[in-house]
Amino acid sequence: MSNSLRAVLGFGVFFVLLFLVGFYQSWNVMLAIFNLCLISGVMALGVNIQWGYAGLFNVGIMGFAALGGVAAMLTSRAPVASAWQAGGSNLFIAALVTLIVIGLAVAAYRKIRPSPMKSLIMVLIIGVGYFAIRTYFDPAVLAIEADNPAKSGFLGGLGVPIIFSWAIGGLFAAGIAWLIGKIALGLRSDYLAIATLGISEILIAVMKNEDWLTRGVKNVSGLDRPVPYELALQESAWFISQIENLFSNRLDGLSEAGRELALRGLVVEYSSVFVKLCYSGLFLAVLLTVLLLCVLALASPWGRMVRAIRDNEVSAAAMGKDVTRRHLQIFILGSAVVGIAGAMLTTLDGQFTPSTYQPLRYTFLIWVMVIVGGSGNNLGSVLGAFIIWFIWIEAEPVGNWLMQTITSTLEPDSGLRRHLLDSAQHMRLFIMGVVMLTVMRFSPGGILPERTAAR
Amino acid sequence: MKKLLLASTMLAGLTGAAFADGHEVKMGIILGFTGPIESLTPDMAAAAELAMKEASDSKKLLDGKVVVPVRGDSTCTDSAAATAAAERLITSDNVVGIMGADCSGVTTAIANNVGVPNGVTMVSPSATSPALTTIEDKGFFFRTSPSDARQGQVLADILKDKGISKVAVTYTNNDYGKGLADSFAAAFKSNGGEITISAAHEDGKADYSAEVGALAAAGADHLAVFGYVDQGGKGIIQTSLDTGAFENFILADGMIGDSLIAAIGDDLNGTIGTLPGSESEGAAKFKEVATAGGLKKNDGPFMPESYDAAALMILAMQAAGSTDRAAIQSKIMEVANAPGEKILPGELGKALDILKSGGAVDYEGASNVTFSEVGEAAGSYKELEVKAGKFETIKVR
Amino acid sequence: MIDTINAFVLFANFVLVPGLAYGAQLALGALGITLLYGVLRFANFAHGDTMAFGTMVVILFTWFFQQNGITIAPLPTALLAIPIGVALTAAVALATDRLVYKHYREIKAVPIRMVMASVGVMFVMNGVVRFIIGPNDQSFADGLRFLITARDFKKATGLNEGLAIKMSQALTVGVAVLLVVALFWFLNRTRTGKSMRAFSDNEDLALLSGISPARVVAVTWIIAAGLATIAGTLYGIDKSFKPFTYFQLLLPMFAAAIVGGVGNPVGAILGGFVIAFSEVTVTYAYKKFLTYLVPTEYAPDGLVQLLSTDYKFAVSFIILVVVLLIRPTGLMKGKVI
Repeated sequence: MSNSLRAVLGFGVFFVLLFLVGFYQSWNVMLAIFNLCLISGVMALGVNIQWGYAGLFNVGIMGFAALGGVAAMLTSRAPVASAWQAGGSNLFIAALVTLIVIGLAVAAYRKIRPSPMKSLIMVLIIGVGYFAIRTYFDPAVLAIEADNPAKSGFLGGLGVPIIFSWAIGGLFAAGIAWLIGKIALGLRSDYLAIATLGISEILIAVMKNEDWLTRGVKNVSGLDRPVPYELALQESAWFISQIENLFSNRLDGLSEAGRELALRGLVVEYSSVFVKLCYSGLFLAVLLTVLLLCVLALASPWGRMVRAIRDNEVSAAAMGKDVTRRHLQIFILGSAVVGIAGAMLTTLDGQFTPSTYQPLRYTFLIWVMVIVGGSGNNLGSVLGAFIIWFIWIEAEPVGNWLMQTITSTLEPDSGLRRHLLDSAQHMRLFIMGVVMLTVMRFSPGGILPERTAAR
Repeated sequence: MKKLLLASTMLAGLTGAAFADGHEVKMGIILGFTGPIESLTPDMAAAAELAMKEASDSKKLLDGKVVVPVRGDSTCTDSAAATAAAERLITSDNVVGIMGADCSGVTTAIANNVGVPNGVTMVSPSATSPALTTIEDKGFFFRTSPSDARQGQVLADILKDKGISKVAVTYTNNDYGKGLADSFAAAFKSNGGEITISAAHEDGKADYSAEVGALAAAGADHLAVFGYVDQGGKGIIQTSLDTGAFENFILADGMIGDSLIAAIGDDLNGTIGTLPGSESEGAAKFKEVATAGGLKKNDGPFMPESYDAAALMILAMQAAGSTDRAAIQSKIMEVANAPGEKILPGELGKALDILKSGGAVDYEGASNVTFSEVGEAAGSYKELEVKAGKFETIKVR
Repeated sequence: MIDTINAFVLFANFVLVPGLAYGAQLALGALGITLLYGVLRFANFAHGDTMAFGTMVVILFTWFFQQNGITIAPLPTALLAIPIGVALTAAVALATDRLVYKHYREIKAVPIRMVMASVGVMFVMNGVVRFIIGPNDQSFADGLRFLITARDFKKATGLNEGLAIKMSQALTVGVAVLLVVALFWFLNRTRTGKSMRAFSDNEDLALLSGISPARVVAVTWIIAAGLATIAGTLYGIDKSFKPFTYFQLLLPMFAAAIVGGVGNPVGAILGGFVIAFSEVTVTYAYKKFLTYLVPTEYAPDGLVQLLSTDYKFAVSFIILVVVLLIRPTGLMKGKVI
């Protein structure tokens, strides 16, 4: 089967399935699934840039997604003036001291010739510096966190519309990726995996515990939205009249009171649908833009170069290509795309909750998407993201139903039946693993394999 | 593969499809059936379903309607999964109201993203975060459990009465633990107490020796544990006893459970704790009703609150004379507060009669429900002490 | 003088004893990872879940023994079930190798493919364990709990500070020492062990000298599965069993293996203790310790804690990253990266 046929078939089947959900469950459920599919698609594209283009095994996806989330929160939240007043000056001094310490350490590292003396000086600078920073930093944190802890207790953010945060989330992720890349990209591939896994855990730990910055585990809820609120729509005369026109034939036959009630129900239901559609539009625009850029990049001379590096680093280096630099570039690009997706996700949730970031959901699930969809193939990654997210969500009702059916012949109160019913939700992980292993084994390229000129 | 997918989705669609029946009213129950408090939630759901059954069996609800519970999993931590479950219940199963959710974080997510926009009333039995007092709920969010701001105060007062002026605090690293630790710290300090250290612990780790080491080093004889009974909290207590770091514990509601005593044993004797609830007539009545209804337990944590949450929505439905979502919301305050005839657990049939004839009720329920202006229980707390391997109520505060 | 003893008893009670036990548990896990890495040349992400699986089998049989009144008090019954656990886990590991990894060895896939396959195996194992025993805490320890309790120690010595040593802690360290001795004897003295080392050092040379790769691979899996099961069981007796916890042990174990020098068994043991002790010492509050040691007027006001316990789990990763940067071969020279 040719790739384009597979693509048409794959997306075709996906949309039919999605439509069936809309028809049998509800349009709201369908759109909720679809919106997360779109976000997952962007995230999978980011992973595909790193793995498919350059063979970088980054298991720190979760960290970059969370950075995007932080960006969304910090961008949209209004600054908390009282907190700045309470701890701003000390925080500023602490930042200044940090810069000085880093400057001194770097200068010492560069200027002093290697000797035991050098190590001693370095340790001294860092040790003394650490306590100097803490002297200013600790009281600042205490003051900020004591400022109305039940409702605020953090510095707040910039107070600009949340839609800008998508770009800022990308920048955040890119910045940290630069730092990590500088440190870890020189490592062998599986060490890079372990290092990124560890670093992403550190990032989450910081977000959970630095309350003065992110409000930590107390979460920040009620973030702004780039789209209208359902309640506002339900009050808006424009929206009500639109619904009235749209469903005129369904409403016409009814009595005055019945019509009123039916219209009210429709307005409430479709206000929710409308909001989700707005999100879908925004997410789709981002997904298509990123996808287009990815496709163009891969087809460009730059794309040929990075694939040449991936396939044979030694000969590419011999041809004068700067392998390390390209790797860093790709690592940053891919992470930035994941960061954008992370910011979109937090925007959709409307709240920033650091404890939701779990490696199984935000790192390994995304990897399954890329591998199943087709590593190296942009469209394939998106398709993989759509299909896997769909399975992930619908596995719960299906698993329950399956277990009900299997156990229907057993005694209703038997221990085995109860055990099987209770365990249904764990089938999710099992199914994901089996799907991933099967695809890797029998179709290593995924559903839509990478197109290569030679093979 | 694809065919399999297709088939499975069609099935999913079928099972999810709602069969509208004139006699059925669906009510959602969203609790964390998996996740950190999965050992508490089955009993909570059972208590809520008991209230629904009681009303249905009386055949007096809106001329014989039957309340059918629909469960959804909030996972307690993952707001995306919780929102998805709520979305399914509200838009696909068409529930009239939701008993839930449980943990404060996911409750906020559901209220903001699904509940309030769709105009669905939510009554949470156990979301106790102080932050929920001020969310923009447009009057659709209620809770039958008091805010943790109050629990912190009660705990501080108990310690003051006992003459304990120095404690170490450890809390589970989430919004519940942190919020409670903050409110306790504020109240305890204003009572003149000293907190030697306030350190978080992460749930789901098996080794807590570093945490206990730091807690013990700060120098206090009493350790306040604000965590969950089948999570890190238990590990902290176990390690503290093993190393001889602490022998006296102060527990908040999440830590109260018989499984704790079963796991730790006699060393817990003398431990102090608080739990929302009261020793009122209603609480005693609830135990009878629960036993008669064949429930596994009759006094688990948050079970009375769950029963009350479901009962309130049912009564509001009757008062409004309709199953319309907005109508329920408009009547809930009325049935919960005075004036009217006091209603205890097991008297739902009587209440439905009174409401039908146009009378007024003041639902007391199992947990002494009285809503404040923002729709949350003012709440009383039981002061508990472990005596001879059992939690015993000392008094109600 | 008495203050100094008090200070050191305090330190032993909160840092030394728990650190030793935790370090031994990590070391056994890291040994398995390192051996697999040395012979099969990939980082096994499924190792934590293999541990969970092995422990689960042990628990199920422990329950069975307990029900039938078979115990070996004062030692925990779980020790009796360990051989069964090891056998079943080894069988599962060998089956996984046949079904999954063998293919990638045959097509000489890049190591990263194997790593990804191990992620898939991790998912499956994760599901299987939760499916069989559920996601909850299980306790299965029995027998004598303490060798010496803090209270008895205080009474016996008259000191202010107590020292508690749990049966499980002593057992962990004892079993770990025995295992390590046996393993080194095996690697250095037996024919199979020597061929394993040869294979790990230079695969091509080993093949030329007539070593059967299939046999080496199989033996490696069996040893790794055995170590994982025993480490998991000891950890479970000492703390508690919960599938999710075992998944999270993966990172400190990796850190231990890499810090010690991957592929190097001595390094793995060293790494285990380095990680365990740094987690405890960096986050320990030294206030009370110092108060005993220094004159009263200099006693510290603050907690004297280098890093708050919130970051306990970050410590192992920070060490990992630093080691990777400064000395990528690990403390003991392992494979070159």
